[in-house]
Amino acid sequence: MPMKLLDCDTVIPEREQHVYIKEAGEDTTQFLPISNAATIPGTLSERGCAFCGAKLVIGGVLKDTIQLIHGPFGCAYDTWHTKRYPSDNDNFQLKYAWSTNVKEKNVVFGAEKLLKLAINEVFDAMPTIKRMFIYTTCSTALIGDDPKAVAKAVIAERPDVDIFVVECPGFAGVSQSKGHHVLNMGWIHEKVGQVEPKITSPYTINFIGDYNIQGDSDVLQKYWHKLGIQVLAHFTGNATYDECRGMHRAQLNVVNCARSAGYIANELKKKYGIPRLDIDSWGFSYMATGLRKVGDFFGIQDKVEELIAEEEDKWKPKLDWYKERLKGKKMAIWTGGPRLWHWTRAVEDDLGVQVVAMASKFGHQEDFEKVIARGLEGTVYIDDGNELEFFEVIDMVKPDVIFTGPRVGELVKKLHIPYVNGHAYHNGPYMGFEGFVNLARDMYNAVNSPLWALASQNIQEVQ
Amino acid sequence: MQEKTESLVALIQQRCLWQFVSRAHDREENIDGVLTLVGILLTGGAPKLETPMDRLHYANANSLVTEIKTELPWLSHLGKDDLFTVVTGAIKRIHEITVKKSKNGELFIPGY
Repeated sequence: MPMKLLDCDTVIPEREQHVYIKEAGEDTTQFLPISNAATIPGTLSERGCAFCGAKLVIGGVLKDTIQLIHGPFGCAYDTWHTKRYPSDNDNFQLKYAWSTNVKEKNVVFGAEKLLKLAINEVFDAMPTIKRMFIYTTCSTALIGDDPKAVAKAVIAERPDVDIFVVECPGFAGVSQSKGHHVLNMGWIHEKVGQVEPKITSPYTINFIGDYNIQGDSDVLQKYWHKLGIQVLAHFTGNATYDECRGMHRAQLNVVNCARSAGYIANELKKKYGIPRLDIDSWGFSYMATGLRKVGDFFGIQDKVEELIAEEEDKWKPKLDWYKERLKGKKMAIWTGGPRLWHWTRAVEDDLGVQVVAMASKFGHQEDFEKVIARGLEGTVYIDDGNELEFFEVIDMVKPDVIFTGPRVGELVKKLHIPYVNGHAYHNGPYMGFEGFVNLARDMYNAVNSPLWALASQNIQEVQ
Repeated sequence: MQEKTESLVALIQQRCLWQFVSRAHDREENIDGVLTLVGILLTGGAPKLETPMDRLHYANANSLVTEIKTELPWLSHLGKDDLFTVVTGAIKRIHEITVKKSKNGELFIPGY
């Protein structure tokens, strides 16, 4: 079947090029949704902005860094609380939100003085913190503020601090994906190579594209530690600013989220000759494959096999318990982009769950190549889905559970369809062996919750 | 033999992320590097592991060989010439799907 024009899209026929239903014998040379393209007027997109992609996804995760948002305080609030990425220093990065609180008078007269004042105020108020990200937002970009010049002036006055400026206002690019790109490229060109890490192991990696969501990095760090592998930088889960400045010394870049951080892995290969190994950290069998690849690279296969055996002994019986009960369930994945291809085969292989519909908010065509290659025939693949499309696709494929973000999650809850937070998780971590058991548990609990039936009853009519 | 090649291509498409990196030149490097090694490993040859990229391709190839032994067990029992035909055919077809005939508009953008 070629691209699909859904009934709800007859008034915006351009949407046909963004929706695909896979049939037997087809491959991506025949059909590939348009993606990473401007949202079509008339479609109610659920995309985030470019600034959010830089701050909420990547920068805001750093555990020792002030995240100063140069704009109205709403931009700070909306990128502060919706992701749960803890850290081992008492969650410094989750406790505070920093904003220059730009007002009309600053828009008229410029906000650079306000920015300089705010930078100094926050460094004075937090004297043990010496690292800062500054983000421009739509308003401060439009008035032409030069935050890099301000940061340079502050660094000259306070030589013990370091500041990284992310010039990625919300309107830049078509989705949050642009924010990932700007932050990655800025970081590699301006900051990587400035700090020499202390090497303590013959095996060194950067683990790229993992943001310690509900402790994902902690799970993986346990594995790297057991294998004797030193992680110079997690980019950026539970990481420090300076760890990420020392990424150039790693022997291998292990990449999980290729969409948000593939750029820095590519640049590290180009600039420093560090190979890029893409793995899937979600999924039982995928995790084992990923670890085996790292083991082959370093020649530590025995240690890897020992670790896998230990983890499988501990977690496989639990996974199988859920598999027995989830087999045949139908799942929809409506997330950012990469989780579509990370998860579709993993839930099928490890849990016997069929993924019947997938929608990506900010994936590129590369992500659709991956997911269509991995996904099932008959499954619906959507780029930048809108609400009416979600309603129509739900009617078409009748999923038992939907993994998505809080925005679409609220929508599907109103339809009394079980929803699991596919971005920040319900009760993670979801990565690694134990993580996939957690995912299975949340899926099982969602599918079997009595609340959905109760929610559909009219309490005025129930005795 | 064509059918055997297609089975290998289907497995590679489904299991391997290295064919889908962002730019055409990186995809080509991975496809040639990994699949050439797959051929060597399946025929019992000794892989060359001199550079970090050699070790990377080896890690990816070894994992694919393990998958092949489980999913396509007949492949490792083919004669050397037939195996060469299948692997060479798969290299050509993966190049075609992921580079030459790919609809991905970002493959040839200069820079990342």
